[in-house]
Amino acid sequence: MYATTYAKAKDVADAVSQLKGADEGKLLAGGQTLIPTLKQRLASSDCLIDLSDAGLSGISDEGGSIRIGAMTRHVEVETSEMVKKAIPALAALASGIGDRQVRNCGTIGGSVANNDPSACYPSALLALGATVHTDRRDIAAGDYFTGMFETALDEDEVITAVSFPKPEAASYVKFPNPASRYAMVGVFVAKTSSGVAVAVTGAGQDGVFRHGGLEAALNSSFSAESIDSVAVDDSVLMSDMHASADYRAHLITQMTKRAVAAC
Amino acid sequence: MPEGTMNQGIGASVRRKEDKKFITGKGRYTDDINRNGQLYAYFIRSDVAHANIKNINVNAAAKCEGVVAVYTGEDIAADGIGGPICGWTPTNRDGSAPKEPPHPLLAVGKVRYVGDHIAVVIAESLEAAQAASEKIVIDLDNLPAVVDPATAIGNTQIHDEMDDNVYFDWELGDETATADALGGADKVIELTVTNNRVIPNAIEPRAAVAEYDEIEDRYTLYTSSQNPHLTRLVMAAFMMQIPESKLHVVAPDVGGGFGSKIYIYPEEAVCTWAAKKLRKPVKWTADRTQAFLGDAHGRDHVNKVKLGLDKNNKIVGLRVDTIANLGAYLSAFSMVTPTYLHGTLLSGCYDIPAIYTNVKGVCTTTVNVDAYRGAGRPEATYLLERTMDYAARQIGMDPAEFRRINFIPKDAFPYQTAVALQYDIGDYEPALDKAMEMIDYANFGSRQAEAAKRGKYRGIGLSSYIEACGIAPSAVVGTLGARVGLYESAVVRVDPTGTISVFTGAHSHGQGHDTTFAQIVADKLGVPIDSIDIVHGDTDRIPFGMGTYGSRSLAVGGTAISKAVDKVIEKGKIIAAHMMEAAETDLEFKDGKFTVAGTDKEKSFGEIALSAYVPHNFPHDRLEPGLEETAFYDPLNFTYPAGTHICEVEIDPATGVVDIVDWAACDDFGNLINPMIVEGQVHGGIAQGVGQALLENAHYNEDGQLLTASYMDYCMPRADNLPSLKIDYTVTACTHNDLGVKGCGEAGAIASPPAVINAIVDALSVVGVTDMSMPATTEKIWRAINDATAKAAE
Amino acid sequence: MELKQSQDIPIPVAQVWSALNDEQILAQAIPGCQELTKISDTELTATVKLKVGPVSATFVGEVTLSELNPPHSYVISGSGKGGVAGGATGSARVDLEAIDNGNATRLTYDVDASVTGKIAQLGSRLIESTAKKLATKFFTDFIAILSPESEQS
Repeated sequence: MYATTYAKAKDVADAVSQLKGADEGKLLAGGQTLIPTLKQRLASSDCLIDLSDAGLSGISDEGGSIRIGAMTRHVEVETSEMVKKAIPALAALASGIGDRQVRNCGTIGGSVANNDPSACYPSALLALGATVHTDRRDIAAGDYFTGMFETALDEDEVITAVSFPKPEAASYVKFPNPASRYAMVGVFVAKTSSGVAVAVTGAGQDGVFRHGGLEAALNSSFSAESIDSVAVDDSVLMSDMHASADYRAHLITQMTKRAVAAC
Repeated sequence: MPEGTMNQGIGASVRRKEDKKFITGKGRYTDDINRNGQLYAYFIRSDVAHANIKNINVNAAAKCEGVVAVYTGEDIAADGIGGPICGWTPTNRDGSAPKEPPHPLLAVGKVRYVGDHIAVVIAESLEAAQAASEKIVIDLDNLPAVVDPATAIGNTQIHDEMDDNVYFDWELGDETATADALGGADKVIELTVTNNRVIPNAIEPRAAVAEYDEIEDRYTLYTSSQNPHLTRLVMAAFMMQIPESKLHVVAPDVGGGFGSKIYIYPEEAVCTWAAKKLRKPVKWTADRTQAFLGDAHGRDHVNKVKLGLDKNNKIVGLRVDTIANLGAYLSAFSMVTPTYLHGTLLSGCYDIPAIYTNVKGVCTTTVNVDAYRGAGRPEATYLLERTMDYAARQIGMDPAEFRRINFIPKDAFPYQTAVALQYDIGDYEPALDKAMEMIDYANFGSRQAEAAKRGKYRGIGLSSYIEACGIAPSAVVGTLGARVGLYESAVVRVDPTGTISVFTGAHSHGQGHDTTFAQIVADKLGVPIDSIDIVHGDTDRIPFGMGTYGSRSLAVGGTAISKAVDKVIEKGKIIAAHMMEAAETDLEFKDGKFTVAGTDKEKSFGEIALSAYVPHNFPHDRLEPGLEETAFYDPLNFTYPAGTHICEVEIDPATGVVDIVDWAACDDFGNLINPMIVEGQVHGGIAQGVGQALLENAHYNEDGQLLTASYMDYCMPRADNLPSLKIDYTVTACTHNDLGVKGCGEAGAIASPPAVINAIVDALSVVGVTDMSMPATTEKIWRAINDATAKAAE
Repeated sequence: MELKQSQDIPIPVAQVWSALNDEQILAQAIPGCQELTKISDTELTATVKLKVGPVSATFVGEVTLSELNPPHSYVISGSGKGGVAGGATGSARVDLEAIDNGNATRLTYDVDASVTGKIAQLGSRLIESTAKKLATKFFTDFIAILSPESEQS
């Protein structure tokens, strides 16, 4: 790890101001990706700004949606009675992230800001039509994820919370990478008043994406069988030593069927 | 046995004495050792697989804050320091010696694998060393990588000493007789069997703390090693070229080895060398990625197998042609693993009249390959048990029956195989029968049908293995080319108050010696195990030792302890005879008491211990004071654990996911000292074998980059990959050691990979799949189902 | 990693060829290019800063143009050292074909990439996607710079 300074932000404004004042400031939001990267000396920062005391934790029911503070840890989402009742698929998703240590430290804001192409959360945001709240604006999930590890956030923009509209039904099914247990393919299916959404993580070269073909089939008939004839294009999918693109395409269909069956 | 020791002797599942410190985080590992004023070493490794070194500029690094020294291979060479050596060497088919190109501690002229050591920075802190290392400018001229063992021969030359990349070309068995047998066979089964490359992954990465005492002119090296005496011997005699007595090696608590900590690596030697040069202690601890890149890997064989059967399906001959990937450099057991520990095991549990094997050890631009849990025997078992299963399927015979009719019959022991070894004892059918009963083999069909209703493919796979343990009888291995005999030593020291210290040359790094060895002594002397301390891992305290590997600790080290205890008892009898004024020949020792036959005279062990040290009236011409005995035990033969493991799997054809739903293991380890520890060893071995079969793979890409250098990509087995394991035993006691024991540490890792793959092939046979390579990943299985289904549709 | 794609550009081959040899245009198109200095007609030195998720690395190295067959094809290759992160090498064979009666050009590129060091050891899952992304970005930006629409805007 290169030498760095560490500071706790007392609130969001403080975090933004510290970020503006640093050359290579980085927000510490659980650190489950950032800290190992820093330790490998694959990133450096002159200033680590820890958001853990910035008042960004907590889950609230806002009627039509559940609002989760950016610094809410995965374990809190996993065990929240409110989340389990309103969006059980989201609690289940959180319970399958990493291992217990990761879930005790990692946060939803950290995950969403990082937008790892194999992370679980982005699929939930996209399928549920969530809104990303930042220190300066609200961003619809559909506009938020812009590519692998890329988001609509400005350099000094800080996520404050994510709001998830309550769906009629939803389910997340993950086929984990056997080594890392990140999603090799993760499919989040949500049924809302505006129709069915299918978001896929772990598979796309550009990160999380919605699959129009699967959605169309499920909108016409919400059943596992209805997607049998839907082709999943593997040319836009990731290929690595664990799974080639065509296997991932096959798994998308299979995980979607399972998610639909569980809805 | 006296009260209170009833459940502590041989055969008792005594809880491990050493576990309290480990499970409370109080183990003392090498990295926990810190010396005053110590410096930190950081090694700069090659990023590329194969290159000529044009220039290394260390000037900027040497000037960095906190840096004490920067060394390259030229500095090592200038001091005449040698590299690691190979312990056992085979002889080539043509009678010539194998090629042993030098392995410089830091690269000279060339780098030969990703991770090869180029330079070391030694600084006042690890951070300073690491920061300075980034200032070293290395100018390399890249050469083509050679990764695949199957195409390594004659490929781009890696060492000047070898124009064909072949370290050795070895054979065993009768080639003509085997050719005749295969020629006259009713059927010849042919199969290519690949044993995938795996990475050992001890939980504690390697580490070293070296210091030099100028006053005594003596080095001390703390290191995470399986064999501190071998480290001392090799480092003193071949690397440092210093008197052996001037090097003190301590292997404190060691967190696993699996073979990877047998070999003496460059880092430990460089730290030791630098400690004298700089007159300060030097510390180094590998991080996890360095462990992936630099620790010796395991397996990596490609075999072409031909198995001949007569019209009654009895095996008449076996030919195996093996290419073993040994990596860029040779190391301690790298040449013996694919030869003497592999070719000699090719008869398995079977009566095979003619066997011939040719093994070529090849060089590639990958890290060296050496012994890994089982070392050679898992490779032999895998190819044989895969071929047995494949053959049974080809001839349409039940794989259990096919094995049964070819087993060496129990009245044929001692059995001389066609590949040098003589099995002293064994009885293979009862283990097969018991394992079949444990898993309810007879009713597998109904379970398979029930699974099919749920859309799952269910399969069952057998593996009947044998291994040669108790490495190794000096007389046997000496003729095979070992440069050292592999006996073991023990000192049993009885204190005046009756407590006992046992000094053993075996080394515990997870095996539970503190408990098992104490049980042997407790059983024989009738004392509680809490009064017995087992001391290991320190060359200043133990006479000599060969360390722990090859399931040798109990069969060789334990027998040495038993023999030293016998000597203590014999001396105790002389003391007791003297004290009780009886004839020595009338003395008996039982249950912790010395008695005089036909009388009620007795002395307790404690009384004898005390009087040994208070020898007021000893006849000093015949009886020395003190009660301490030493034994060196050189076994007469290998021991031959054997057994049958049966694995049952369910495969989800929609995803390719394999679920191991049941496992039965019936092993013959001879007598058991601590069944609980044995069971733990079997569990661990099976998990490791399941890892190799389903999950683990050292993946080098064609450029020679190791892509699996972290747990993001290198897939270890976890608890949820395994069912609750059914473990049982048969016992045929080893005929040539006092304890009748055979060894149990490697059996699980030897037996399990073929059981898993045979079960998978059985499950997939419904769609026409006949073979599957390791690791059987979900994608491979999905693809095999697709390909077979498509082929069937044609 | 292999990637072969083609795209049509509404300008003639000669102009595309000259742009392919123009270091200023290349500097705009190479993702993360901080500096591109011409040493000769076919050799350039480059400093490229890349960020993939939390990882950032600055690569210092060379860009070489070879197998020149003006104005039809060449191979553009880059190789750089990214310090502790390791090294990266990428090359693209570029073919130009006149279409639309010579008014437009079909540009075909065939990319090959490899990485060494920590990037390979720790980030293998991302190598292929990242290489494709960077190659696509290079050619997309290159074509955008040349296209009349971008000039208008």
